[in-house]
Amino acid sequence: MKEFFKKPIFPIITASVSLVLAIGIMVAAGVSFVKCWDVPMPIEGPNVTEVKMLSEWYDGLKDGPGDTPVYVLKGEGDGGAMLILGGTHGNEPSGYMSAVTFIETAIIENGTVYVIPYTNISSMTHNDPGEGNLQYFTLQTKSGERIFRFGSRATNPIHQWPDPDVYTHHPSGQQLSGSETRNINRAYPGREDGTLTEQIAFGIAELIRTEDVGITFDLHEASPEYPVINATVAHQDAMTIASEGCINLLLSGIDMALEQSPTNFHGLTHRELGDYTDTMAILMETANASQGRLRGGTSEEQVLGGVDDYYLYSESIGMLFVPWDENHHPIEERCGRHLQGIYEYTMAYNNAYPDKIVTYSGVPSYQELFLDADKEDLGGTQLGKFLR
Amino acid sequence: MSIELITFIVMLGTFLLGCFLCKLPIGISMVLASVAGALIGGQGVPVVHLVEGMFAYVDTILVIATAMIFMRVIQESGTLDAICATIVERFHKVPALMLIMIMVIIMFPGMITGSSTAAVLSAGSIMAPVLMMMGVPILETAVILSLGGMLGMIAPPTNLPAMIMCGGVDIPYSGFTLPLILLTFPLAFAFVLVLGLKHVKKMNYAEVRAKLNTEVRKKYGFKIYIPLILVVVLMVLNTAVPAIPDMGMPLVFLICSGVGCFTGRKFNILKVSKNAIQSVLPVMGILMGVGMFIQVMTLTGVRGLIVTSCLSLPSWARYIALSTSIPLFGSVSAFGSASVLGVPFVLSFLAKNEIIVVSALSLIASLGDMMPPTAMAGIFAAQVVGMKDYKQIMKKCLLPCLIILVWGVIFILAANFLEPFIVFH
Amino acid sequence: MVLTIIYRLIIALVIALVGWNLFTEKKFTAQLTAAMVLIPLVLRALMIK
Repeated sequence: MKEFFKKPIFPIITASVSLVLAIGIMVAAGVSFVKCWDVPMPIEGPNVTEVKMLSEWYDGLKDGPGDTPVYVLKGEGDGGAMLILGGTHGNEPSGYMSAVTFIETAIIENGTVYVIPYTNISSMTHNDPGEGNLQYFTLQTKSGERIFRFGSRATNPIHQWPDPDVYTHHPSGQQLSGSETRNINRAYPGREDGTLTEQIAFGIAELIRTEDVGITFDLHEASPEYPVINATVAHQDAMTIASEGCINLLLSGIDMALEQSPTNFHGLTHRELGDYTDTMAILMETANASQGRLRGGTSEEQVLGGVDDYYLYSESIGMLFVPWDENHHPIEERCGRHLQGIYEYTMAYNNAYPDKIVTYSGVPSYQELFLDADKEDLGGTQLGKFLR
Repeated sequence: MSIELITFIVMLGTFLLGCFLCKLPIGISMVLASVAGALIGGQGVPVVHLVEGMFAYVDTILVIATAMIFMRVIQESGTLDAICATIVERFHKVPALMLIMIMVIIMFPGMITGSSTAAVLSAGSIMAPVLMMMGVPILETAVILSLGGMLGMIAPPTNLPAMIMCGGVDIPYSGFTLPLILLTFPLAFAFVLVLGLKHVKKMNYAEVRAKLNTEVRKKYGFKIYIPLILVVVLMVLNTAVPAIPDMGMPLVFLICSGVGCFTGRKFNILKVSKNAIQSVLPVMGILMGVGMFIQVMTLTGVRGLIVTSCLSLPSWARYIALSTSIPLFGSVSAFGSASVLGVPFVLSFLAKNEIIVVSALSLIASLGDMMPPTAMAGIFAAQVVGMKDYKQIMKKCLLPCLIILVWGVIFILAANFLEPFIVFH
Repeated sequence: MVLTIIYRLIIALVIALVGWNLFTEKKFTAQLTAAMVLIPLVLRALMIK
C-alpha cells in the first residue's frame, strides 16, 4: 500500500479528486446563483394600465440586464405624473415591497403614477459577498405563498465588471470607493455612454423628463446605526412640499425627520434628479435590521419582523439613531411609513400644484398596515393580506 | 454564554487546531473553521454561502496573481539589476535623501492603487535589491517594504479603507489630502531613516560597485527600463487624465509583463508565470478561506457580537477597543476591518471631525496588513527579499506598528483641535 | 464592455495557471488549495456570479 502512495500517479489521482470536488461545489453553488437571476414580479393590480420597460425611455437598455419593468397606473381624471422608485438597493426590502404593494392595490383617480419596483433590477439578481444575506423570503398572500428576492446594494458584477479602484462620479468629479460605481444611488443623473448603472440612472432621468414627472419618491432603508433614518431627504426645491407633508405625518403619529439634500454629496436621487430634471425629488429611509454591521445572525424573522436582539442591545448602549424596543421594526411598520409618506407628500404636492394633481385610493395606510394589525400578524402576515 | 460566542470559540478553535495541530495550510484551516461555525450556528453546511464569501476577494487575487507575474518578469529580464545599479551609482553620496526617495518609490504604487500588495510586489521588489546592495540587512529591508506598503496604501490620493468608511457613513471623499499626508509621510520617513541610515552610511561603495550588475544595462540600453516606466505611466494615467478609463491593476501588470518579455534577457514566460502563481497560491487560498470565514461570521451573528462588544465599552475604553479590534480584525483583511469595525467607530465619534477620524482610523486599519494569518504586507515582503517566513519581520515591525497606532489615536483624540489647521475643502 | 472581456481573459489565464499548478503540486493540501481557488475564478469567468 505504501508503495502505491509513492508512485508518481498518486498526486495526479489526488489532484483529480480535488478538481472533481471543486467542480461539484461549483455546480451546486452555480445552480443556486443562476436561480437568483429570476426576479419575481408584482401581480398587476386593479389599475395597472400598462407595463412598459425602462428601455422605452432610453433604448440603450433594451433587452439588457438593466432593463426593468415600469408599471403605469393611469387615472381616469386629468392630472400630473408621479414616479415611485422601489428597489434602488436590493437589500432594502421595505423599499421594493412598498412599491409592489402600491402596484397591487392602488386605484388612481387623477393623473398617472409610474412605479418601478426594482429600479436597479440587476442588484436583485445576486447577494453581497461577506454579508451572509438570505436569498429569498416568503409571504402568505391572497393567491397563496409568494416568494420574493432579497438582493444586493449594487449592480451584479456579472453585468458590470471590473470595478475601478476609485469611482469618479459624472459630472461632479466626486470620488468614492471603487465598488460604489455599481451603486445606482451614486450614479445619477447618469449618462448614455456610461456604465450599466449610469445608463439605468440616465433612463430614470429620461423617464422623468419625457413624462414631465412632477414628484419622485425613492424608497430606501438604512441600518439602525446610521444617522439618516426614519427620515425624509428632499431636494431644496421640494422642501416646501416636504415640510408640509412631514407635519401631516407627525400629526398622524409617524415620527419623521426631514433633511435638505446636501449640495456637496453627489450621485443621489434627492440631489441630482432635483438638479437635472424638474421633478420634486424626495427620498425616504426606514430602519432595516438585516442591513447593518451590528446585527445578529441572518433569518427571515430579521428581514420581515425586524427582530434582532443585537439591535435591542445596541439601543441600550446608545449606538442607534432609531428607537428600538421589544416590538422591533416589522416590515408592516416600514412599508406603512413609506406608503403613508408617499400619500402625505403627494397631498402637499397637490396643494402646491392644483393643475397637476395626482390622487389615488386603495393603498393601505400606516394605520391599516401597522397600527390596526394584530401583534402576531406583524412580520409579514399583515402585509401579505394586502398583496394579491 | 450566547450561541454567537460559542460559534466564535468553535471557529477559532477549529482554525487553531487545523493550523497548529494538523499542520494544514491556513486557507484550508479557515475553510474548516467556517464549516464548523456554520454547523454550530445552525446553518448546516451552507455551500452557497461559503462560495459566495470567496467572491469578496476575486478582484484581490487577480491583482496578486498578475503583480507576482510582473515581479518575476522584471526579475528574469534583468530590469531589476539595471535599476538597482543605476540608483546606487547615482545616489550613494546622499544616503538620507536616497532612503527617503526609495521609501516614496515603495509607497507610490500604494498611493495610486490603494493596495499594499501592489506596492510591495511592484516598487518594493524593485527597491529591495537596492537597499540590500547598499548594506541594509535583509530583515530591515523587508520591514521597510512592509511599512512602505502599508503607509503607501493610506497615503493620498487613493486610500481605500477611508473610501470604504466614507461610503458607510455617506460623506464625500474630499478634504483628506493633508490629514493623510500628515498621518503617513512623517512616519514613513522616520521609519526608513531609523531602519536604514546607519547601515547605508557604512557602505563601502567600491565593494558595492563591484557587485552591481551593469551588463544588462549596457547590453539592452534604455529599453530595459521600459516595463517600469510603462507601469508608472499606466498607473497614473487615470489619476492624471480622468477621461481615460481606469484599466485596473491586473491589466496594467499583464501589459507590462508582456512588454517585459521583449526588453531584456530572454526567458520562458509560461514557466515564469506558472512559478509566480505557485508562489502566491497559499495566499490566494488564505483569502478564499477568509472570505468564507467572514461570510459565516455574519451569517451566524458572530460579526454582530464582535462589533457590539467593541462599541459597548465606555468612551475612554473605546480607544483601547479600536486600537486592538481594528488591527486584529484586519487579520482577515484591512478593507474588511475598515468596513465592519471602522464604520461603527466613525459613527461612535460623530462629535469629532469626521475627516480626521476617518483618516486616522484608516491608518489604524492598515495595520491589519501586518496581522496574521493574512499579513499581506509581511508575507509579500518576505517573498520579495527571499525570506522563508515572515515571523521575524512581524517581530521587527512591532514597534513601528505601535507607533503607527499611537499616531492614529493621537489624531482622533485631537481631531477637533487639528480641524482648523489641516482640513480644507 | 471591452474591459469585461479582457478581464474574463485574464481570469481564464489565471485559471489555466492555477490548474497547471494543481496537477504539478505534490502535496494533497496544496492541491486542495488550488482547487478551492478555482471555484470563484471559474464561476466569474463563466459570468455566473
